[in-house]
Amino acid sequence: MTATQLSPGSVRKTAAGATAPGRRRALDRYLNPALGVLGVAVVLAAWQICASTGVVDPKFSSSPSGAFRALVDSFTSGDVWSPLGSTLSIVAWGMLISIVAAIPLGLLIGRNRVLYALTDPLISIMYSVPYVVFLPMLIFWFGIGADARVVIVVWSAMFPLLINVIAGARNLEQSHLQVSRVFCASRLTTLRSVAFPATLPYILAGVRQAVGRALIGAIVAELFMGSAGLGYVVQLKTSNFQTDDAMAAIAVIAIIAVLLNHGVAYLEQRLTFWSRTD
Amino acid sequence: MNNPRRKLVVDDLRIGHWSRRSGSFALACDGLTFDVAENEFVAIVGPSGCGKTTFLTALAGLTPVESGRLELNGEQITGPAPDRSLVFQQASLFPWRTVVANIEFGLKAQRRLDAKGKARVAELVELVGLAGKEESYPRELSGGMSQRVNLARALATDPDLLLLDEPFSALDAQTRELMQEELTRVWQADGAGTGKTAVFVTHDVPEAVFLADRVIVFSRGPAHLVEVVEVDLPRPRGAGVKRSPRFQEISDHILSLVMSQNQPGRRTEDHDSNAALSR
Ligand SMILES: Nc1ncnc2c1ncn2[C@@H]1O[C@H](COP(=O)(O)OP(=O)(O)OP(=O)(O)O)[C@@H](O)[C@H]1O
Ligand SMILES: [Mg+2]
Repeated sequence: MTATQLSPGSVRKTAAGATAPGRRRALDRYLNPALGVLGVAVVLAAWQICASTGVVDPKFSSSPSGAFRALVDSFTSGDVWSPLGSTLSIVAWGMLISIVAAIPLGLLIGRNRVLYALTDPLISIMYSVPYVVFLPMLIFWFGIGADARVVIVVWSAMFPLLINVIAGARNLEQSHLQVSRVFCASRLTTLRSVAFPATLPYILAGVRQAVGRALIGAIVAELFMGSAGLGYVVQLKTSNFQTDDAMAAIAVIAIIAVLLNHGVAYLEQRLTFWSRTD
Repeated sequence: MNNPRRKLVVDDLRIGHWSRRSGSFALACDGLTFDVAENEFVAIVGPSGCGKTTFLTALAGLTPVESGRLELNGEQITGPAPDRSLVFQQASLFPWRTVVANIEFGLKAQRRLDAKGKARVAELVELVGLAGKEESYPRELSGGMSQRVNLARALATDPDLLLLDEPFSALDAQTRELMQEELTRVWQADGAGTGKTAVFVTHDVPEAVFLADRVIVFSRGPAHLVEVVEVDLPRPRGAGVKRSPRFQEISDHILSLVMSQNQPGRRTEDHDSNAALSR
């Protein structure tokens, strides 16, 4: 909130004060992104200067201009599409499976005291342990094909989502449940029409965490398995000393991460507008 | 005794809460006995924490009866049923549903949301004065509007018995007066001229007298019956009724009963011993 400054007897000042919140919002809208871009530009410029003046060896460190050229090349030659598609489809499948499984499962566990007591320690452990330690074991079990990578993505994404859904289902408003009971709603109706929408903000927060972890899971799996995807490209190009190409692949991964984050944020805004307190 | 006037029978009723943590039992209503007739509007007043909400939730079927009779149309109440609905004390609208969708909830839950149900909801939106707000969300409503939605939601299922738990207590004085008049209007308009049977819990004595045919005064908790006061004011009642000498007389009488409950020294009966019974 902006405090409106009132100086005695000055109508003009007051009028200017009344528009101040609007101006502040416009500043937030344009100035903050502009500052963000500036920050990135400064770092890139410093990197470019270091590479051009030979402070660092661009063969090892790549350079913004080299990486950018490699990025454009990968698009014009079409080399980027196959690994990009591979990574994206793995992440998409993994997220889909996680969401379809975690939401009903989380609602069920959150609404059932015995199930919760049974599963809570297990899920907490699975959530807390760095999931990449399971990677060798998962490769051992599932091989290095696309299926195995989906398994790893699900493994990474499932638990933050599950934990959020359970927390949401356990935090249902008592009065909402009473309304449901008074109007004789069935258990299924209560789950679908009360528990699910009430949990939606938690679900989407969980999805946001899960998407981040899913991407990490996919990339780490590709680095590890060396079979396909953007992670594999990064690994391959780096070991071939093609650091520009490796940096270009990293840039693509960064873009995916940012877009996914924004996509989920957009969904949150569209689907849970009713829970905002502004 | 099978008197047709006895729509709701409360006989030596005891209700309480089991504490999950300590496993003990706390009595909230002790030995309540009274009847409610068909189409009657009954108000319950009593000190805070005496067990009014508990009694109402028992009527709704949310709180189990410990002992005694609690019969609606000759049948013991054992759980929620479509023939009763409750207007809650706190805000209980679903924030993710629009005004219309909130009002429809009961009908939808009971699989009765057909064309007739939709028409009834549209009618109620008009009746409670929410026309134009159909697609608003609860966070966009004022307190008065929210309670109108709450009321319309309870009326939508066309209950045999309407239960209201201090529905206007959170509103400012003017809005409250307005809502009281509106409730009498809706109540008279909705039941095809007869009015539904309603049980209305409130702290506000003039509100009780204005709305009710009879006012039931509860004692300090655990609640037992202090007195049942007939309100012999003519209907339909307008805002002017509140300035009539008879209204004042009845209000003063009930107020003195409630006040005597608030001051331990002036109580006629003693119920100190059974605040908490362990089993
Ligand atoms: N869920 C519960 N578990 C245990 N005890 C409860 C529960 N709800 C209410 N009580 C207790 O039962 C008694 C009656 O409470 P109740 O809510 O019925 O009072 P009330 O008359 O509605 O009060 P108010 O006028 O303040 O709304 C109180 O002593 C209260 O502490
Ligand atoms: Mg109460």
